[in-house]
Amino acid sequence: MFKYLSKSLELLFIGVVICCIVYPGVLWLAGQALFPFQANGSILLGSDGKPVGSKLIAQPFTKDEYFQPRPSAASFDASASASSSLAASNYALRDRVARTLGPIVKYRSGPKGGQLVGPDVETWFQNDIFQAKPRIIAQWADLHSSLAQAWVKADPTHSAYVDHWAKAHPEIVAGWINNNPATPEPKTADLAVLFFENFSNEYPGKFPAAVTRKGADGKQQTILEPVDSGADIQSIFFDMWRQEHPDADLQDVPGDLVTTSGSGLDPHITFENAQYQLERVASKWADDLKRDPAQVRAEIEQILQKNASAPWWGLAGDKFVNVLEVNIELKNRYGTPS
Amino acid sequence: MMFLQVWLLPIALLATATILAFPLSRYTAWIMDGKYRPLPVFRWFEKRLDSGPQNWKQYAGSLLLFNTLMFVFSFLVLALQPWMPLNPDGKTLLAPSTIFHSVISFMTNTDLQHYSGEQHLSNFSQIFFGIFNLFFSAAIGFSALSAIIRALRSDSSLGNFFLDMWRVVVYMFVPLAFVIGLIFITQGSPMTLQTSHAVSTLEPGAMGTRDTGEIKKQNIALGPVAAFESIKMLGTNGGGFYGMNSAHPFENPTGLSNFFNTLAMMIFPFALVLMYGRMLGRFKHSLVVFTVMLVLMTGTVVWSICFDTLKPNPGIAGQSTERNYEIPSATSPGKVTVTLPAVASLPVDQHLGNLEGREMRFGTSAGATFAALTTDVTCGAVNAEADSLNPIAALSPMTGMWLNCIFGGKGVGMINMLMFVIIGIFIAGQMVGRTPEYLGKKIGAREVKYAMLAVLVHPVMILMPTGLFAATSWGLQAISNPGAHGLSQILYQFSSASANNGSAFDGLGVTYGFWNAAHPGPSAAAFDIATGLTMVFSRFIPIIAPIALAASLGAKRSSPFGLGTLRDDSFTFGFLLFGTVVIIGALLFLPVAALGPVAEHLGPIPFGG
Repeated sequence: MFKYLSKSLELLFIGVVICCIVYPGVLWLAGQALFPFQANGSILLGSDGKPVGSKLIAQPFTKDEYFQPRPSAASFDASASASSSLAASNYALRDRVARTLGPIVKYRSGPKGGQLVGPDVETWFQNDIFQAKPRIIAQWADLHSSLAQAWVKADPTHSAYVDHWAKAHPEIVAGWINNNPATPEPKTADLAVLFFENFSNEYPGKFPAAVTRKGADGKQQTILEPVDSGADIQSIFFDMWRQEHPDADLQDVPGDLVTTSGSGLDPHITFENAQYQLERVASKWADDLKRDPAQVRAEIEQILQKNASAPWWGLAGDKFVNVLEVNIELKNRYGTPS
Repeated sequence: MMFLQVWLLPIALLATATILAFPLSRYTAWIMDGKYRPLPVFRWFEKRLDSGPQNWKQYAGSLLLFNTLMFVFSFLVLALQPWMPLNPDGKTLLAPSTIFHSVISFMTNTDLQHYSGEQHLSNFSQIFFGIFNLFFSAAIGFSALSAIIRALRSDSSLGNFFLDMWRVVVYMFVPLAFVIGLIFITQGSPMTLQTSHAVSTLEPGAMGTRDTGEIKKQNIALGPVAAFESIKMLGTNGGGFYGMNSAHPFENPTGLSNFFNTLAMMIFPFALVLMYGRMLGRFKHSLVVFTVMLVLMTGTVVWSICFDTLKPNPGIAGQSTERNYEIPSATSPGKVTVTLPAVASLPVDQHLGNLEGREMRFGTSAGATFAALTTDVTCGAVNAEADSLNPIAALSPMTGMWLNCIFGGKGVGMINMLMFVIIGIFIAGQMVGRTPEYLGKKIGAREVKYAMLAVLVHPVMILMPTGLFAATSWGLQAISNPGAHGLSQILYQFSSASANNGSAFDGLGVTYGFWNAAHPGPSAAAFDIATGLTMVFSRFIPIIAPIALAASLGAKRSSPFGLGTLRDDSFTFGFLLFGTVVIIGALLFLPVAALGPVAEHLGPIPFGG
């Protein structure tokens, strides 16, 4: 028995030396000597010679002049990769996709072909009737209580708004406590559904959204106000609108534009996705540079073509482009967007 | 073109791995039979390690003893993380239950991770805890299979455990891992001792700003990824350097690296089946077993591609018509009608299949192919989020784990299949009323008991804890998706633990994090301990029992080959084995499959919210 213990210890020691020191050491030397660019994270430099990111890691872009990567469940945090882990059957997935779609989807055919559906969603929302019953927001909160709660938690101004409302409506809060005796002190999010039901009554056809305006002291400030149009309504209520208009002929959006990647750091988008964004990107640059949109568009399309590649030269998958590389090239050619 | 883009990758993978299995199995058999002449320096090490011929109890004892030492060493590495070098970010101590879980997980070749590598481990831990276990846990199963083969062919001893481990690690894993690691570096896997690189993004401020007004940088985690990655795949370990494993662009940078990633986890499980035949002198028999495994594997791959790559995500696609199910009422006689209303489709082009949780650079069917293969060979790496697989497609990876012998892990897959061989022959013997024989040895009550023990541990260790967690707040607090998928998350977790697989439905809240974590998963500690114990039992019982079985069988006298002997290299035998695996291995899990993925598939979709 003692013999086996000493042999085990020897094996452990030899193993640690070989597998944890010699093997990684030699590979480290080989990598640093032969492939220093890859071995150090494929870091790309901007025109000023400073590192701007890794070729393999997606980074966010907010300006319309740039192509945008796929949505990231990791918020593009390259030190904490994450997927959405949303099941196909989870309503949260459908809701997230619908919210991305609402403000960008266009009609494919008919008299409105090529126009955004967003304004129609707003008009429908202002009518405040869903499946022949009035009060859309109240029905939304009843159907999707977790989304209503998520809205309250999403932003401190939201929960402050609901808190303020709760103080003004003690009788409703008392009614909630009556129905839920186990929770004598409800959290703000617990009241979300009641809040939206009541809100729907007081402001039919409106939704609380952030509005920026001049305050009494002359400073810009952001406050929540009942509004009847805007991005919030177009995105949050697009799915309900769609349920009532299942036959409206809409343009399909590329799948990878609305789905998160496995790592949250996927640096690529499909070529279709890039072409879908091309119109926005090109017209924005043309605006900025006061140039002919068609010409800018042709130039940028060339950049896309040049940067496109495909798994196994197209035998194993569709073409894709690297968003960061394309955007670096855009910045190098056209300068910093205004 | 679409047809080619979908099917070329899986066909190329299966074909390449099959072709490579022939020469590789010749090499591994040559090494394990000790027919090589080692270099003088290696000979010196071999002499030091070789403690002489061992019988089955000595071999199994050495194996358990060495695992105990591995446990102690790995535990120390993780427990001392804050005080060890290569930790410039000051990564602190993991929660004790997570250390316990991670150490067992890596020691048993499972590599189920309740932590996230880039967030929770220093480079020192990644190397001395991670890479060490990746090599040695993989060598354990390999050595055990070699011992079983020697016992079955009635060798005078089972060989020597320490010598076997040396041979596997030094003559097979290290050189191959080096080559594959170099390929990964060329594709873009980092190989550095730096921990991170902070960059100012191309669009300043796109990452947001801090409360102080300072612009946030993007912090890119780096490390010795290539060295980790190659043995992680070769050893069918599957524990990632990064949280998102082979989906992470640094672990798997290109379509080409994805091919080698996938191939690397297949070659040893493929080769070991043929090595079994070569060392026993029954090559044709191993070809039959190989074919049965290949058929099962093709089935799981085709299944997941058909339902994930060739079908859209059902939550987004909606459902154009109302569906009605008539089901028996649970409370009164007669039937009730359940109506699933029509759901409008969202305008999304899904011709590439379900893209939620997929990466674009690997190829169209790469996610689905990988998901099936990784559980068949019990690797457990993932290159796409398994949680987001289409519901019915998820049956494929689950089946891979439930059967646990479709090539299976390094060595242990063949061992598991051997148990099905014994049971299959026993059942066939009962059916025709003859004494069952394998390799000319009579299978007695003792052997069947050992085989049943090894086979039954698996369903018990999956179904009982799944039931326990599904019925208590432990499970209910952890699930992140509503409805049947929540059960699937728990079921997958324990299937993965028991199959020593390591992939997971990542939404399950099993991460405690550092010991002082502000918001640990509420039942993370319960999962740490339960899956930790599951892994231990499901690892060592199905290794020790077969060694005992083989020793008992090998000690018997060979009976001559007669007219009534069931030939073990015939089509009939292959069919018998296939039936045994499918009926005995899979039927046990049919009820829980119906409650999880099948129920989710039937709808309603979307659910909850």
